[in-house]
Amino acid sequence: MTSFLNAGTEENIMVLMVDTTRVHIGKRIAEELSRSGDNADGFELIDTTGMHISHCVGCNYCWLKTPGVCAIQDDYEPILRKMSKADQVWLISDTRFGFVSWQTKNIVDRIMPLVTMYLKFQDGQMRHVMRYDHQPDLGIIYTGDGDQAYLERWCQRTALNIGSRSLGVYSESKRKEAISCML
Amino acid sequence: MHVVIINGSPRIRKYSNTEKIIAAFANGLSEKGSTFETYAISDRKSWDIIRDAYIKNEEILIALPLYVECVPGLLLEFLETLPRKDEHTRLSFLLQSGFAEGCQLRCGEEFLAKLPEYLGVRYGGCLVKGGNFGIRILDEAKQAQATKPYQAMGKLFAEGDGFFREEAQKFTGPEYFSLPVRLIVGLIQKTLARKMFQKAAVSWGCRVPLDEKV
Repeated sequence: MTSFLNAGTEENIMVLMVDTTRVHIGKRIAEELSRSGDNADGFELIDTTGMHISHCVGCNYCWLKTPGVCAIQDDYEPILRKMSKADQVWLISDTRFGFVSWQTKNIVDRIMPLVTMYLKFQDGQMRHVMRYDHQPDLGIIYTGDGDQAYLERWCQRTALNIGSRSLGVYSESKRKEAISCML
Repeated sequence: MHVVIINGSPRIRKYSNTEKIIAAFANGLSEKGSTFETYAISDRKSWDIIRDAYIKNEEILIALPLYVECVPGLLLEFLETLPRKDEHTRLSFLLQSGFAEGCQLRCGEEFLAKLPEYLGVRYGGCLVKGGNFGIRILDEAKQAQATKPYQAMGKLFAEGDGFFREEAQKFTGPEYFSLPVRLIVGLIQKTLARKMFQKAAVSWGCRVPLDEKV
Protein backbone atom coordinates (compact mmCIF):
# COMPACT_ATOMS: atom_id res chain seq x y z
CA MET A 1 0.00 0.00 0.00
CA THR A 2 1.26 3.46 -0.82
CA SER A 3 -0.12 5.72 1.82
CA PHE A 4 0.07 9.47 1.56
CA LEU A 5 -0.97 10.89 4.87
CA ASN A 6 -1.12 14.58 5.51
CA ALA A 7 -1.68 16.36 8.84
CA GLY A 8 -4.62 14.22 10.03
CA THR A 9 -4.38 11.10 12.14
CA GLU A 10 -6.21 7.84 11.56
CA GLU A 11 -8.99 9.02 13.84
CA ASN A 12 -9.21 12.32 12.01
CA ILE A 13 -9.21 11.59 8.31
CA MET A 14 -11.50 14.08 6.68
CA VAL A 15 -10.76 13.09 3.09
CA LEU A 16 -9.89 9.55 2.06
CA MET A 17 -8.85 8.86 -1.52
CA VAL A 18 -8.75 5.27 -2.77
CA ASP A 19 -6.78 5.04 -6.00
CA THR A 20 -7.07 1.94 -8.19
CA THR A 21 -5.80 3.56 -11.40
CA ARG A 22 -3.02 1.94 -13.39
CA VAL A 23 -1.11 5.22 -13.68
CA HIS A 24 -1.60 6.22 -10.03
CA ILE A 25 -3.21 9.61 -10.63
CA GLY A 26 -4.04 9.80 -6.93
CA LYS A 27 -0.46 10.79 -6.09
CA ARG A 28 -0.70 13.85 -8.30
CA ILE A 29 -4.09 14.78 -6.85
CA ALA A 30 -2.74 14.39 -3.30
CA GLU A 31 0.21 16.64 -4.14
CA GLU A 32 -2.06 19.27 -5.65
CA LEU A 33 -4.32 19.07 -2.61
CA SER A 34 -1.31 19.50 -0.33
CA ARG A 35 -0.30 22.64 -2.18
CA SER A 36 -3.80 24.07 -2.01
CA GLY A 37 -3.36 25.79 1.30
CA ASP A 38 -3.66 25.53 5.05
CA ASN A 39 -7.04 23.89 4.88
CA ALA A 40 -5.66 20.87 3.08
CA ASP A 41 -5.10 18.79 6.18
CA GLY A 42 -6.41 15.49 7.36
CA PHE A 43 -6.41 13.58 4.12
CA GLU A 44 -5.08 10.18 3.19
CA LEU A 45 -4.42 8.52 -0.13
CA ILE A 46 -4.51 4.75 -0.42
CA ASP A 47 -3.05 3.39 -3.64
CA THR A 48 -4.29 -0.19 -3.98
CA THR A 49 -1.46 -1.30 -6.26
CA GLY A 50 -0.06 -4.56 -4.93
CA MET A 51 -2.85 -4.96 -2.39
CA HIS A 52 -4.94 -8.12 -2.31
CA ILE A 53 -8.58 -7.06 -2.51
CA SER A 54 -11.05 -9.77 -3.43
CA HIS A 55 -14.47 -9.23 -4.96
CA CYS A 56 -17.55 -9.52 -2.71
CA VAL A 57 -18.72 -13.14 -2.78
CA GLY A 58 -22.24 -12.35 -1.53
CA CYS A 59 -21.99 -14.61 1.51
CA ASN A 60 -24.05 -12.19 3.66
CA TYR A 61 -21.88 -13.05 6.68
CA CYS A 62 -21.31 -9.32 7.32
CA TRP A 63 -25.06 -9.02 7.95
CA LEU A 64 -26.02 -12.35 9.49
CA LYS A 65 -23.04 -14.22 10.90
CA THR A 66 -20.35 -11.73 11.91
CA PRO A 67 -22.26 -8.41 11.77
CA GLY A 68 -20.06 -5.57 10.55
CA VAL A 69 -17.12 -7.81 9.70
CA CYS A 70 -16.30 -9.11 6.22
CA ALA A 71 -15.58 -12.83 6.06
CA ILE A 72 -12.82 -12.34 3.50
CA GLN A 73 -9.49 -11.81 5.19
CA ASP A 74 -7.42 -9.70 2.83
CA ASP A 75 -6.14 -6.15 2.54
CA TYR A 76 -9.61 -4.60 2.40
CA GLU A 77 -10.49 -4.44 6.10
CA PRO A 78 -8.28 -1.40 6.99
CA ILE A 79 -9.73 0.49 3.99
CA LEU A 80 -13.27 -0.22 5.18
CA ARG A 81 -12.49 1.05 8.68
CA LYS A 82 -11.01 4.25 7.30
CA MET A 83 -13.95 4.76 4.94
CA SER A 84 -16.40 4.45 7.83
CA LYS A 85 -14.62 7.27 9.71
CA ALA A 86 -13.86 9.66 6.84
CA ASP A 87 -16.03 12.65 6.00
CA GLN A 88 -15.36 12.21 2.29
CA VAL A 89 -14.38 9.13 0.29
CA TRP A 90 -13.08 9.74 -3.22
CA LEU A 91 -12.87 6.78 -5.57
CA ILE A 92 -10.09 7.37 -8.07
CA SER A 93 -10.75 4.96 -10.89
CA ASP A 94 -10.01 3.94 -14.44
CA THR A 95 -13.12 3.41 -16.55
CA ARG A 96 -14.39 0.59 -18.75
CA PHE A 97 -17.76 0.35 -20.48
CA GLY A 98 -18.19 3.99 -19.40
CA PHE A 99 -18.26 2.82 -15.77
CA VAL A 100 -15.70 2.46 -12.97
CA SER A 101 -13.18 -0.36 -13.24
CA TRP A 102 -13.84 -3.74 -11.64
CA GLN A 103 -11.10 -2.95 -9.13
CA THR A 104 -13.08 0.07 -7.89
CA LYS A 105 -16.39 -1.76 -8.05
CA ASN A 106 -14.95 -4.50 -5.82
CA ILE A 107 -14.08 -1.86 -3.23
CA VAL A 108 -17.62 -0.47 -3.34
CA ASP A 109 -19.33 -3.88 -3.35
CA ARG A 110 -17.56 -4.66 -0.09
CA ILE A 111 -18.91 -1.66 1.86
CA MET A 112 -21.83 -3.86 2.93
CA PRO A 113 -20.53 -4.30 6.52
CA LEU A 114 -21.34 -0.59 6.99
CA VAL A 115 -25.05 -1.33 6.66
CA THR A 116 -27.12 -3.75 8.73
CA MET A 117 -29.58 -6.42 7.69
CA TYR A 118 -32.37 -4.27 9.11
CA LEU A 119 -34.53 -2.36 6.65
CA LYS A 120 -36.59 0.82 6.69
CA PHE A 121 -38.31 3.18 4.29
CA GLN A 122 -36.64 6.46 3.58
CA ASP A 123 -37.90 9.00 1.04
CA GLY A 124 -40.34 6.41 -0.28
CA GLN A 125 -37.79 3.66 -0.90
CA MET A 126 -36.54 0.76 1.14
CA ARG A 127 -33.06 1.22 2.58
CA HIS A 128 -30.80 -0.65 4.94
CA VAL A 129 -30.46 0.75 8.45
CA MET A 130 -26.90 2.05 8.80
CA ARG A 131 -24.56 0.43 11.32
CA TYR A 132 -22.81 3.66 12.34
CA ASP A 133 -24.01 7.20 13.02
CA HIS A 134 -21.39 8.78 10.78
CA GLN A 135 -21.47 8.24 6.98
CA PRO A 136 -18.90 9.40 4.42
CA ASP A 137 -19.97 11.39 1.39
CA LEU A 138 -18.83 9.88 -1.88
CA GLY A 139 -17.10 11.31 -4.96
CA ILE A 140 -15.44 9.93 -8.09
CA ILE A 141 -12.42 11.07 -10.11
CA TYR A 142 -11.92 9.00 -13.25
CA THR A 143 -9.53 8.45 -16.12
CA GLY A 144 -10.52 7.48 -19.65
CA ASP A 145 -13.82 7.52 -21.46
CA GLY A 146 -16.29 7.55 -18.59
CA ASP A 147 -20.01 8.02 -19.13
CA GLN A 148 -20.29 11.20 -17.06
CA ALA A 149 -24.09 11.21 -16.74
CA TYR A 150 -24.21 7.54 -15.78
CA LEU A 151 -21.39 7.83 -13.27
CA GLU A 152 -23.21 10.77 -11.64
CA ARG A 153 -26.38 8.73 -11.37
CA TRP A 154 -24.51 5.74 -9.95
CA CYS A 155 -22.58 7.85 -7.44
CA GLN A 156 -25.80 9.46 -6.20
CA ARG A 157 -27.54 6.10 -5.86
CA THR A 158 -24.55 4.54 -4.12
CA ALA A 159 -24.36 7.43 -1.65
CA LEU A 160 -28.07 6.98 -0.99
CA ASN A 161 -27.35 3.37 -0.05
CA ILE A 162 -24.96 4.44 2.68
CA GLY A 163 -27.10 7.30 3.93
CA SER A 164 -24.87 10.05 2.56
CA ARG A 165 -24.64 12.27 -0.50
CA SER A 166 -22.66 12.43 -3.71
CA LEU A 167 -19.78 14.90 -3.91
CA GLY A 168 -19.89 14.70 -7.68
CA VAL A 169 -18.05 12.96 -10.50
CA TYR A 170 -15.00 14.52 -12.17
CA SER A 171 -12.84 13.46 -15.07
CA GLU A 172 -9.10 13.60 -14.41
CA SER A 173 -8.87 16.83 -16.42
CA LYS A 174 -11.34 18.47 -14.02
CA ARG A 175 -9.63 17.26 -10.87
CA LYS A 176 -9.10 20.84 -9.65
CA GLU A 177 -12.88 21.11 -9.21
CA ALA A 178 -12.83 17.90 -7.19
CA ILE A 179 -9.94 19.20 -5.09
CA SER A 180 -11.91 22.38 -4.33
CA CYS A 181 -14.62 20.12 -2.83
CA MET A 182 -12.04 18.56 -0.54
CA LEU A 183 -10.95 21.83 1.08
CA MET B 1 -33.73 -21.15 -30.18
CA HIS B 2 -30.57 -22.13 -28.29
CA VAL B 3 -29.66 -19.88 -25.36
CA VAL B 4 -26.34 -19.60 -23.54
CA ILE B 5 -27.26 -18.61 -19.99
CA ILE B 6 -24.47 -17.16 -17.87
CA ASN B 7 -24.99 -16.79 -14.14
CA GLY B 8 -23.18 -13.52 -13.33
CA SER B 9 -23.40 -13.91 -9.56
CA PRO B 10 -20.18 -14.11 -7.55
CA ARG B 11 -21.91 -16.44 -5.08
CA ILE B 12 -21.19 -20.14 -5.57
CA ARG B 13 -23.89 -21.97 -7.50
CA LYS B 14 -25.15 -24.02 -4.57
CA TYR B 15 -26.24 -20.90 -2.65
CA SER B 16 -27.01 -18.65 -5.60
CA ASN B 17 -30.52 -17.16 -5.79
CA THR B 18 -29.79 -16.33 -9.42
CA GLU B 19 -29.07 -20.01 -10.11
CA LYS B 20 -32.51 -20.97 -8.83
CA ILE B 21 -34.14 -18.26 -10.92
CA ILE B 22 -32.23 -19.52 -14.00
CA ALA B 23 -33.51 -23.06 -13.37
CA ALA B 24 -37.14 -21.88 -13.41
CA PHE B 25 -36.53 -19.67 -16.46
CA ALA B 26 -34.87 -22.58 -18.31
CA ASN B 27 -37.89 -24.79 -17.59
CA GLY B 28 -39.95 -22.21 -19.46
CA LEU B 29 -37.53 -22.28 -22.40
CA SER B 30 -37.77 -26.09 -22.54
CA GLU B 31 -41.54 -26.01 -22.48
CA LYS B 32 -41.42 -24.00 -25.70
CA GLY B 33 -38.91 -26.37 -27.32
CA SER B 34 -35.87 -24.13 -26.87
CA THR B 35 -32.56 -25.51 -25.66
CA PHE B 36 -29.99 -23.97 -23.36
CA GLU B 37 -26.60 -24.40 -21.73
CA THR B 38 -25.77 -22.77 -18.39
CA TYR B 39 -22.55 -21.45 -16.89
CA ALA B 40 -21.56 -19.58 -13.74
CA ILE B 41 -18.75 -17.04 -13.45
CA SER B 42 -18.34 -17.69 -9.70
CA ASP B 43 -15.88 -20.42 -10.69
CA ARG B 44 -13.00 -18.60 -12.35
CA LYS B 45 -11.63 -21.86 -13.70
CA SER B 46 -14.58 -22.01 -16.10
CA TRP B 47 -14.07 -18.52 -17.60
CA ASP B 48 -12.31 -19.81 -20.74
CA ILE B 49 -15.17 -22.24 -21.39
CA ILE B 50 -17.80 -19.53 -20.82
CA ARG B 51 -16.00 -17.11 -23.13
CA ASP B 52 -15.83 -19.81 -25.80
CA ALA B 53 -19.61 -20.38 -25.51
CA TYR B 54 -20.15 -16.59 -25.75
CA ILE B 55 -18.04 -16.46 -28.92
CA LYS B 56 -19.67 -19.47 -30.62
CA ASN B 57 -23.33 -18.67 -29.88
CA GLU B 58 -25.63 -15.84 -30.90
CA GLU B 59 -28.28 -15.87 -28.16
CA ILE B 60 -26.74 -14.95 -24.83
CA LEU B 61 -28.52 -14.26 -21.55
CA ILE B 62 -26.64 -13.00 -18.52
CA ALA B 63 -28.59 -13.39 -15.27
CA LEU B 64 -27.23 -11.42 -12.36
CA PRO B 65 -27.90 -10.00 -8.92
CA LEU B 66 -27.73 -6.24 -8.41
CA TYR B 67 -24.62 -5.32 -6.40
CA VAL B 68 -24.53 -1.71 -5.18
CA GLU B 69 -26.67 -0.26 -7.96
CA CYS B 70 -24.90 -2.04 -10.83
CA VAL B 71 -23.24 -5.30 -11.85
CA PRO B 72 -21.03 -7.18 -9.37
CA GLY B 73 -17.29 -6.43 -9.57
CA LEU B 74 -16.51 -10.02 -10.52
CA LEU B 75 -18.88 -9.85 -13.51
CA LEU B 76 -17.28 -6.56 -14.62
CA GLU B 77 -13.92 -8.32 -14.53
CA PHE B 78 -15.27 -11.19 -16.63
CA LEU B 79 -16.90 -8.83 -19.14
CA GLU B 80 -13.51 -7.19 -19.73
CA THR B 81 -12.23 -10.52 -21.06
CA LEU B 82 -14.89 -10.81 -23.79
CA PRO B 83 -13.87 -10.07 -27.37
CA ARG B 84 -15.89 -7.69 -29.51
CA LYS B 85 -18.57 -9.42 -31.63
CA ASP B 86 -21.10 -8.16 -34.15
CA GLU B 87 -24.86 -7.61 -34.29
CA HIS B 88 -25.61 -11.21 -35.15
CA THR B 89 -25.22 -11.83 -31.44
CA ARG B 90 -28.00 -10.72 -29.13
CA LEU B 91 -27.26 -10.08 -25.46
CA SER B 92 -30.13 -9.99 -22.96
CA PHE B 93 -30.15 -9.68 -19.20
CA LEU B 94 -32.10 -10.90 -16.22
CA LEU B 95 -31.44 -8.50 -13.32
CA GLN B 96 -32.65 -9.49 -9.87
CA SER B 97 -32.23 -7.95 -6.44
CA GLY B 98 -33.09 -8.19 -2.78
CA PHE B 99 -34.94 -4.88 -2.57
CA ALA B 100 -38.40 -5.40 -3.99
CA GLU B 101 -39.32 -2.11 -5.70
CA GLY B 102 -38.59 -1.67 -9.41
CA CYS B 103 -36.98 1.74 -8.80
CA GLN B 104 -34.11 0.03 -6.98
CA LEU B 105 -32.92 -1.74 -10.14
CA ARG B 106 -33.16 1.04 -12.73
CA CYS B 107 -29.62 2.34 -12.31
CA GLY B 108 -28.28 -1.18 -12.91
CA GLU B 109 -30.63 -1.62 -15.85
CA GLU B 110 -29.30 1.56 -17.49
CA PHE B 111 -25.76 0.17 -17.41
CA LEU B 112 -26.91 -3.13 -18.90
CA ALA B 113 -28.85 -1.39 -21.68
CA LYS B 114 -25.67 0.38 -22.77
CA LEU B 115 -23.31 -2.56 -22.35
CA PRO B 116 -24.10 -4.46 -25.61
CA GLU B 117 -22.97 -1.48 -27.69
CA TYR B 118 -19.57 -1.54 -25.99
CA LEU B 119 -19.31 -5.24 -26.90
CA GLY B 120 -20.52 -4.66 -30.47
CA VAL B 121 -23.61 -6.84 -30.04
CA ARG B 122 -27.40 -6.28 -30.13
CA TYR B 123 -29.40 -5.57 -26.96
CA GLY B 124 -32.19 -8.04 -26.22
CA GLY B 125 -33.71 -6.21 -23.26
CA CYS B 126 -33.51 -6.64 -19.52
CA LEU B 127 -35.94 -8.50 -17.29
CA VAL B 128 -36.03 -6.64 -13.97
CA LYS B 129 -37.32 -8.11 -10.73
CA GLY B 130 -36.63 -7.55 -7.05
CA GLY B 131 -37.69 -9.20 -3.81
CA ASN B 132 -35.40 -12.22 -4.11
CA PHE B 133 -33.21 -11.91 -1.01
CA GLY B 134 -34.65 -14.87 0.85
CA ILE B 135 -34.73 -17.52 -1.89
CA ARG B 136 -31.61 -19.28 -0.68
CA ILE B 137 -32.97 -19.78 2.85
CA LEU B 138 -36.31 -21.25 1.75
CA ASP B 139 -36.93 -24.98 1.63
CA GLU B 140 -37.09 -26.64 -1.79
CA ALA B 141 -40.87 -26.46 -2.18
CA LYS B 142 -40.99 -22.75 -1.29
CA GLN B 143 -38.02 -22.04 -3.56
CA ALA B 144 -39.93 -23.60 -6.44
CA GLN B 145 -42.95 -21.46 -5.58
CA ALA B 146 -40.88 -18.26 -5.34
CA THR B 147 -39.13 -18.81 -8.67
CA LYS B 148 -42.11 -20.17 -10.62
CA PRO B 149 -43.02 -16.79 -12.19
CA TYR B 150 -39.68 -16.86 -14.02
CA GLN B 151 -40.84 -19.98 -15.88
CA ALA B 152 -43.45 -17.90 -17.71
CA MET B 153 -40.71 -15.42 -18.62
CA GLY B 154 -38.65 -18.29 -20.07
CA LYS B 155 -41.60 -19.22 -22.26
CA LEU B 156 -41.98 -15.62 -23.33
CA PHE B 157 -38.28 -15.31 -24.14
CA ALA B 158 -38.47 -18.47 -26.30
CA GLU B 159 -40.92 -16.64 -28.56
CA GLY B 160 -38.02 -14.54 -29.78
CA ASP B 161 -38.72 -10.93 -28.78
CA GLY B 162 -36.21 -10.77 -25.97
CA PHE B 163 -37.58 -8.86 -23.00
CA PHE B 164 -39.21 -6.07 -24.99
CA ARG B 165 -42.80 -7.31 -24.77
CA GLU B 166 -45.27 -5.74 -22.36
CA GLU B 167 -45.47 -8.91 -20.23
CA ALA B 168 -41.75 -8.63 -19.50
CA GLN B 169 -42.05 -4.94 -18.59
CA LYS B 170 -44.97 -5.66 -16.23
CA PHE B 171 -43.07 -8.51 -14.58
CA THR B 172 -41.11 -5.98 -12.50
CA GLY B 173 -44.14 -5.10 -10.37
CA PRO B 174 -44.52 -1.73 -8.63
CA GLU B 175 -41.86 0.93 -9.12
CA TYR B 176 -42.57 2.25 -5.61
CA PHE B 177 -44.77 0.82 -2.89
CA SER B 178 -47.91 2.80 -2.10
CA LEU B 179 -47.99 4.69 1.21
CA PRO B 180 -50.23 2.12 2.98
CA VAL B 181 -47.91 -0.71 1.91
CA ARG B 182 -44.87 1.28 3.06
CA LEU B 183 -46.45 1.88 6.46
CA ILE B 184 -47.31 -1.78 6.96
CA VAL B 185 -44.03 -3.17 5.60
CA GLY B 186 -42.10 -0.49 7.53
CA LEU B 187 -43.77 -1.59 10.76
CA ILE B 188 -43.05 -5.26 10.03
CA GLN B 189 -39.41 -4.38 9.35
CA LYS B 190 -39.13 -2.66 12.73
CA THR B 191 -40.63 -5.59 14.61
CA LEU B 192 -41.22 -9.09 13.24
CA ALA B 193 -38.61 -8.96 10.48
CA ARG B 194 -35.89 -7.98 12.97
CA LYS B 195 -36.74 -11.00 15.11
CA MET B 196 -36.75 -13.20 12.02
CA PHE B 197 -33.35 -11.92 10.86
CA GLN B 198 -31.91 -12.34 14.37
CA LYS B 199 -33.26 -15.91 14.47
CA ALA B 200 -31.75 -16.68 11.06
CA ALA B 201 -28.47 -15.20 12.29
CA VAL B 202 -28.43 -17.43 15.38
CA SER B 203 -28.88 -20.45 13.12
CA TRP B 204 -25.78 -19.25 11.21
CA GLY B 205 -23.81 -19.16 14.46
CA CYS B 206 -24.13 -15.43 15.18
CA ARG B 207 -23.94 -14.52 18.87
CA VAL B 208 -24.18 -10.72 18.75
CA PRO B 209 -26.93 -8.23 17.80
CA LEU B 210 -27.17 -7.64 14.05
CA ASP B 211 -26.66 -3.90 14.52
CA GLU B 212 -23.48 -4.42 16.56
CA LYS B 213 -20.95 -1.62 16.09
CA VAL B 214 -17.54 -3.09 15.38
